Parts: sequence; structure tokens; C-alpha cells
Amino acid sequence: MSRFIATRAIRGANRIVQEAEDLLEKALAEHGPDTKVTFPNTAYYLPVILGLTGREVATLGDLKPALAQAGSLLHPVPRDQLWTPYLGEALDGGVATLLAEEAIMGIKYALGEQPERLDGYPDLVTAGGEGYCNGPIDDVQLRAWGIQLVDGRMPGFAAIVGAAKSNEVAVKIVRELQMRNILVFLCGNVNGRSIIHQLLEEGVELGYDTYIIPFGTDTISAIYPLGFATRSALTFGGMKGGQAREILLYNKFRVFAFVLALGEVDDLKYATAAGAISYGFPVIADTVIPEILPTGITQYEHVISMPFDDIEGQDDLERAERLVQKCIEVRGVKVKIAEIPIPVPYGSAFEGERVRKDDMRIEFGGKKARALEYLLMRDPDELEDGKIELVGPDFDEVEEGGAMDVGIVVEVGGRKMQKDFEPVLERQIHYFLNAAFGVQHIGQRDIAWIRISKMAADKGFRLKHFGEILYARFKGEPWNSIVDKAQVTLITDPEEMKKWLEAAREAYNERNVRVAGLTDDAVEEFYSCTLCQSFAPTHVCVISPERLGLCGAYNWLDCKAANQINPTGPNQPISKGECLDPEVGRWSGPEEFVYQHSNQSVEHVTMYSIMTDPMTACGCFECMVLVIPEANGVMIVSREDPSMTPAGLTFSTMAGIFGGGLQTPGAMGVGKYYLTSPKFISADGGFKRVVWMSSFLKETMPEEFKAVAEREGVPDLIDRIADERSVTTVEELLPWLEEHDHPALKMPPML
Amino acid sequence: MAEKVEIPVQKWSGRVREVTLGATKEEGGTRTRSVTVGGEATLPFLHFEGELPHPPRIAIEIQDKKPEEWSPLLLKAWEEVIDDPAAWAKKAEERGADLILLRLSLDDAQGEENTPEKAKSTVRRVLAATGLPLLIFGPGQVDKDNELLVAVAEEAAGERVVLGVCEEKNYRTIVAAALAHGHLVDSRTPMDVNLAKQLIILIHDMGLPLDRILMDPSTGALGYGIEYGYSVMERLRLAALHGDTMTQQPILVTPGEEAWRAKEAKVEEGIPEAWGDWEERAIMWETMTATALIEAGADVMVMRHPESVRLVKEAIDKLWVKEG
Ligand code: SF4
Repeated sequence: MSRFIATRAIRGANRIVQEAEDLLEKALAEHGPDTKVTFPNTAYYLPVILGLTGREVATLGDLKPALAQAGSLLHPVPRDQLWTPYLGEALDGGVATLLAEEAIMGIKYALGEQPERLDGYPDLVTAGGEGYCNGPIDDVQLRAWGIQLVDGRMPGFAAIVGAAKSNEVAVKIVRELQMRNILVFLCGNVNGRSIIHQLLEEGVELGYDTYIIPFGTDTISAIYPLGFATRSALTFGGMKGGQAREILLYNKFRVFAFVLALGEVDDLKYATAAGAISYGFPVIADTVIPEILPTGITQYEHVISMPFDDIEGQDDLERAERLVQKCIEVRGVKVKIAEIPIPVPYGSAFEGERVRKDDMRIEFGGKKARALEYLLMRDPDELEDGKIELVGPDFDEVEEGGAMDVGIVVEVGGRKMQKDFEPVLERQIHYFLNAAFGVQHIGQRDIAWIRISKMAADKGFRLKHFGEILYARFKGEPWNSIVDKAQVTLITDPEEMKKWLEAAREAYNERNVRVAGLTDDAVEEFYSCTLCQSFAPTHVCVISPERLGLCGAYNWLDCKAANQINPTGPNQPISKGECLDPEVGRWSGPEEFVYQHSNQSVEHVTMYSIMTDPMTACGCFECMVLVIPEANGVMIVSREDPSMTPAGLTFSTMAGIFGGGLQTPGAMGVGKYYLTSPKFISADGGFKRVVWMSSFLKETMPEEFKAVAEREGVPDLIDRIADERSVTTVEELLPWLEEHDHPALKMPPML
Repeated sequence: MAEKVEIPVQKWSGRVREVTLGATKEEGGTRTRSVTVGGEATLPFLHFEGELPHPPRIAIEIQDKKPEEWSPLLLKAWEEVIDDPAAWAKKAEERGADLILLRLSLDDAQGEENTPEKAKSTVRRVLAATGLPLLIFGPGQVDKDNELLVAVAEEAAGERVVLGVCEEKNYRTIVAAALAHGHLVDSRTPMDVNLAKQLIILIHDMGLPLDRILMDPSTGALGYGIEYGYSVMERLRLAALHGDTMTQQPILVTPGEEAWRAKEAKVEEGIPEAWGDWEERAIMWETMTATALIEAGADVMVMRHPESVRLVKEAIDKLWVKEG
């Protein structure tokens, strides 16, 4: 922690504890120790003292030991020569400050000096009374808001301390927070001016109804929001008074709150801020103060300084907007977009819809033009969340039924975002755009092909609406768990298009290289997929970089992203553990995982063998691989191939026999891209074992198989593999293989 | 002379959690007794193998207004009380219910929208009319469920009622209300082991202790997918006994609702003569559905017809023999 902050926080703490002690002595002398001390309408005594120390303060006398405890947390102000870390001391000081502040408020309530009266503001009506600030939030309101905070309808609360640069800025800040459903708690002042004054002067309505609560114009009233946070943990976290650590952790992980310090920060504010940091609430100041960046106590940064006049923006209002943005980002508050602002209906029901040539207003990509889509990760600081920009003209000038080039560039950033997730997110563009009524999307990367129907164009659908859709969807569930910020650029300008096309192609290349370099040996974890257990209860897909899920829909990167997005979902990391047999691909981790998650019915599993403990088959595999003992090899039937195979079974018969979560040596369901993996049944001889393969596969993946044949050292291997056009029985198969000199015939026996 | 046969005994490593519904005065509520379910250390009724501390329990389902869409047979069975949920609850208690499940409707009897205030008053009256622990389910529309359940949770604070139903798409508000007022929740998923488990995890992640969650894996009626539901329940219970902690929740199912949806129970006309008497058949349909489900491991069954309740209780009594 910054020595400067520590020094001031500790100094502030010492002073406020002293002040509380003096006040208490005086009150005790005048009113006696049995004088009642209560906050109105709460069953939690003085909640911060209750939560952090377990003391149930009910009288002035009860405050004495509480303050003694606060005093015991005080440390001397660090001297100039001392260079020890001060974080612990400062945080202790923060906690002492909170105890003292609450004691002071307790005494003031006993003396009838709280809630604070604000003269000259007749519009001020709160739970504290007409013309009064609010005082602590009562238990009923706590539960009502608490439910919304817990269920996520309210993202969190902001405690604003001090006064904004101007009344205008004060209003803007509060409106920005309100818009996002964030509770706004107000307190403190700068030279006697408080944001409470500013808002009242501007006629902003304060109170429970508007979610803007004025607690008081002094710093000490910041104790009320922290009391609210403490009671949240007691009510919703099931904690008891005195479980300080649990209460603080509860707030850190579950209560998305932050402190926004407006204007100059004095010692007491530093001390109070140190207290807030213990709750895991970061402090953002609009003045120059030393930052505390290493994350540890709070979820993220502890103290952020954003000097108001240095914030980029055309005017103060824009600066205010950015300031709020930053607060939200720092605390990781997730805000959802309720509705997608586009002129056509939107929903997954429209995903399969086609736009025929006659109904088409315009197309991007296809034969006559080019469409590019590229999603890339950026540092969140470089992004302006929600920005949607069109570079170049829209399609109005293009004739009906015509074509034009478009580039869709999506830039996203977030704390949990990883470069590896770029392709996973980019692939969603297809689903997102397709769900708009009157939009058809095919393909990906630089061979995308998009059509917009006349109807949609007539209703006013334009290019920027692609941006609206993508922004809203990436910021919606579940993607918002990795995307904190997004901006979309639509490019029709030829120069810009050229530039982006180059950048995108370079990125595609890099991704291809990355995927090729992702080997099973290079990673520590595989992933599970148990989605298919709903109908195949013992089936577990173990997914590694070199072996994707057998439906073909999930590769290793997809699973990794899916797990970030939904940590309790069907894709769990499986630590590889000990390698028990590198040949067949047997590791202790997957073995245990599969055993546990197959209802303890599949005891062993390997990654690279069809003969030894192969993976189970659920039923939605893309291809069936089956040993043909007579040919000393395997055949591969694709889902699309309805014909008879040399095994005497069609694909659908095999799916019935071998599916349902069974483990059958000699039979295996696979995703078709596993066929091209160097690890494809590598324990049993690899791709050279393939003696028969549906022509559909040969035709749809010619390049891929060519590369495999080269890798296997038999460049014309694919031509030596029979298919349903030449061979449909095992009797025909053998002579055909001999005629074509298939390498499997000379390999060691499979069985 | 009779041979002594050695009965093979399976050793299970896991056990179902105990969950207590309702709170008596000493426990902070007003129920005349609370009901604990779960705790099984073996499969249903295998007393020789492991401990089974609590028999399956039956909740009778009542509604806050006359459920016009219910079978005329049910309306007849509850005829005198069907317009008054408090009287209905009392009657249900007399007819052998262990628990009362109150379902809130979208509209009240006058066809006007149900409101938090109306729902609260219904709950207040039902709590006063019966001493049994309560389960309260919303009308099944996300917004309305949340609005009404939050209100009734407050009204019934301290009573340890079961709020329902939590589903993957809508559970956060209901769980938050349960947290705020000390209640339990029903976690419902569509007949899938992993989904059942996942929702329990999600609910638990919000901070609700596991001993306040009932697992509701859904079921079908006899002839309408019961085998699917049965198999899912069985697998969940096996996983629980094998030690998978997130499946160790007592199971709640709704055979009443399911069975009375089946054609065999619902209709009188246009069916073969051989099907026999309508009323008898309908009651048997619910009874058979429920008795099958207790064999699959159900801990709480929500039922509708008083006669089926009697028959199922009889079946439970006969199966619940600890010796011999
Ligand atoms: S087949 Fe696909 S969806 Fe099914 S478990 Fe495997 S990866 Fe998951």
C-alpha cells in the first residue's frame, strides 16, 4: 500500500477513535451508562459493531468496550524512515475507524442528533423524516433491496462521498448509476458542500423510491452504507455477529459495491476508505491520489485515481459518464441490455429462416461481394463500451437485389477474456445475426455471406443494427461473464476494408497455427462434456486439444471458454494427473473423472485407442469407427451416409447398437476432425488403419485428408481407401484392398 | 426346517441429507409439528441394509381459488371447501396430509389479478387454519412467481415453508426471498441427472444451505413417461448413496398434477368400456403413479385426491416394516 495513504488513513483513524472516546465520556457523564443506544427499525443493534466484533450494543455503557476494541486496532502513524508494508496497519485502522464512526452515530441517536437535519431544503423527505437525511436503512427496506441485490436485478450499490465538480456533474453521475439500476448512497462533503446539496438544488428526488439515499453531509455517515453491507451478510449470508472474516468475504464476493470519492480526500476519508477496502469495496477518486493497484483484498484494484479534468471527453458530462463506467468496470458489476434496439423481431425462432433471392434487398459476401467478420480482444481501457460505428456508406445507394462488401469487426475486452476465446466468440456472430427476422447468415471469417430481406430493409434495418445485435448479445448472458466491454465497427469503405481484411487474415493464420500447436502434451488439463448424459447416462466425452467431442460441436477451446462462462456446467476441467500409458493415452485424471461421472460404471478410458478401453459413445457422434477384423483395419461411416457398409450395418443401426453410453472395444463414435488428428487411434496404428470410409467424408474434407496422407507417408492413401461407391460387403472389401495395395494389410494384426 | 438365507447387503458410502419443513413455536414458527424428510442411507424400504429414518410424506395440493381446470372428480371430492383455501387446508389435514402445498393463481376468484397483498392474506389464513408445514408454489409465470413469492415469504417469515418452484431460468429471486426470511426452496429441473445437480449447485452457490433445498427432478404420470422420471430419480439416489454430495437432497415429485393430466384420469367419454369406472380408474392412476415413485426414492409426494392419498399412505405403511 502506498505509504502516503497508509499514513493518512492511520492518522485519520487515530483521530476519529479519540473523538468517539471523548464524545462517549461526555455522554456518559451527562446521561449515564444505561441510556439506550439504538438505530431505528433494525434488529441488528449497531450492525458494523455487531458484525465485526459480535457485541450487541444497546446502551451507552456497552459502547465502552467496543471503543476499547477499536483502540486496540490502532497503530502508530508510520515514521518517515520506516519502510515496512503498511497495508495491514492501515486496514486495521480502517476497521477501527468504522467502529468509532458507528459508535459516534449511536451516541448521536441517543442524544437525538441523528438523522441529520438539513435546513433550507423543504423537498428533502426521507425515512428519517421531512427535512432530515435518511439515517440507517431499516430492516424492511434492507430485505426488499437485499433480495434484488442477491438475485441480480440490482447490480450493486455506489457510495458517493463528497461533492462533484458542479451540480450538473453530480446529476449526471447519479443518473448514469440510476440508469443501470445501481443503488446510490450519498454522504460527506468538501468544504461544507455535499453532493446531497447539489442534487437537492437541482430538484433531484431522493429517497427509497428513487434508489438515491442521502445519509448525511459528513463523512461519518458513510458508516450507514457499510452497516447496510454488514446486515446483508447477516441476513442473506446466514452469518452471525462476530464472524468478521466471513462477513467481509461475503461482501467482497457477493456485494458489488464501490466507493466514489468526489473532491479532495482528507484523513478521515482515507481512514473510512481503508474500512471500505476491508469489505472488498474499491475506492475510485476523481482527484489525484496514489493508486493501490495490486488486487487482493478487493476483487480488483483497491484505489483508483481518475482526476476529473484529465478524463477524456468533450465536456464534463461525458467525463462524468466515463467516470461511472470506470467504477463499474473496476468493481466488475455486470449490467445487462434489456432489449435489442432493432426494427425487426428478434429470437432464435428466426435462426433457420432463409432469405430467397427474390425477397432480398441486399447481400454481403457470396459470389459478388465480400463479407468479413473478425472478433478480437482488446485491453478494456482502449475500448468504448457500446460504441457502434459505420465506416463508409450504408447500403441505401446499392440497387435492390445488389451486393456490397462489408466488414464486421467486433472488439471485446474483459477481465476473464482470453485470446484463445476469440474464435469461440467469433463463431457466435453466426447465431446472433441469424436470429434477426429478415437476416440470413452463412459461413464465417472472410467467407461469410449475409442477406437482408426487403421487408427488413423497409422497416428500417440498416448496417448499424448488426452492431446493435452483436453488442447486446455479447453483453448478455452468458457471454457477459467474459465480455465486460464491446464495440462494433461496420466497414464498407474500400480502403478500410482492405486494411481489416489483411489484419483479419493474419489473425486467422495465427489462430490456425495456435490450434495446430495445441497438443495434448502441451496442456495440463483436458475438459469433460457431460451434456449427452440426459439420454446416455454413463457417457462422458473427454476432450483434449487433439481430440474433440464426438458430436463435433465442442473442441478443447470451446470447452475452456464454456467453463469460464458457466463454471458449474457440463464442461469441467479434468487435470491430466499421472500418465499411466502414453501409448494408448491413459491418464489417472480422466480415468477417475469418467469413473465418478459415469455413475461408477465406466472404470477405464483411453484417448488414442479403439481396442483398449475406448471412449464411450453417446449417440450423436459424427462418425462411427468400427474394426473390420478381416481387413486388419477400421471403417469410418459418416452420419450423412445412409448406405450399407462392409460390416453389414448401416450408420443408424450402429448408432443404436453402440450408442447410449456404452464402451465397446472395436467400436468408437468420433467427431470428424478427430480423424485428421495425429492422435487418431494412434495406439492401434493411426490413420493407415482406415480401409473404408464414406465418400461424403472424402468429398467434404479433401484438403484435410490429403494432409493426413502426407503426414502418414502414403501420399495417395485416400485413393486406396474403399468407399460405398466401390465396396459394400466385406467379401468385396478384401480383394479391393489387395488390388489397391492398402498398407493395413501389411501392418501387425489388430486383434 | 427353514434354511437361513444370507441376504446380500450393499455398503453405501453416502447418505441423503435431512431436511426439516415447517417450524413449531419452539423453532420460531407456529406449526403444530415440523416434518423431517430424507436421511436415507440405502435404497427405499431396504431397512435390513441401512438406516431409513423417515418415511415418504404426502403433501396435499390446494389452490387459492377454485381450480376450474381440475377434473370434475377432484372438484367433487373437495366440493365443500374448494372456494376457501383455509377450509381446504383444514380438510386436507383431516384427510391425512402430512404437508400442505398451496398453489397461488394468476387471478383471483373474481378474475382479477392476484397481488402480493391478496397472496399474503391467503397465506395468513391458511397458516391459521392448519398446523401442518406449508409449501407455497407460484402460478408458474416468472414475473408473477417472483412478485408473489417474495411477498408471501415475508408474510410467512420463520415458518420454514418451501418456496417453489426454482427453475434454471428463474431461481435467484426465490432463493433470495428464502434467504431473507429463513425458508426452503424446491429446485425443479426437467428429468435430467446433471441438470438436477447443477441447479442444486447454483442455488447453494447463492448461499442457501443444502438442508434447505428439496430436489424436484420432475416426473411423468403412469403411461406418460413415468419410466423416464423413475430412472432419473433412481440414478440421482444411487449417485447420492455413492457419495455425490450435490445429489444428496430429499426428492419432491408431483404425481397428483401429472396423473390428473393423463387421459385415463381426465376423461369420461369416448373411451373403451373395458376401462371400467371413471372415478376408480382416475384414483388408481394417481395412486399407481405415486406408489411407483416412492419406490424410486421420492421423499415428498404432492397429491390431489383424498382417496389416492389414503391408498398411498396404506401402501407406505405396509412397506415401512423394519423387522422381518
Ligand atoms: S457428444 Fe458433444 S454434446 Fe455430447 S457429451 Fe460429447 S461433446 Fe458433449
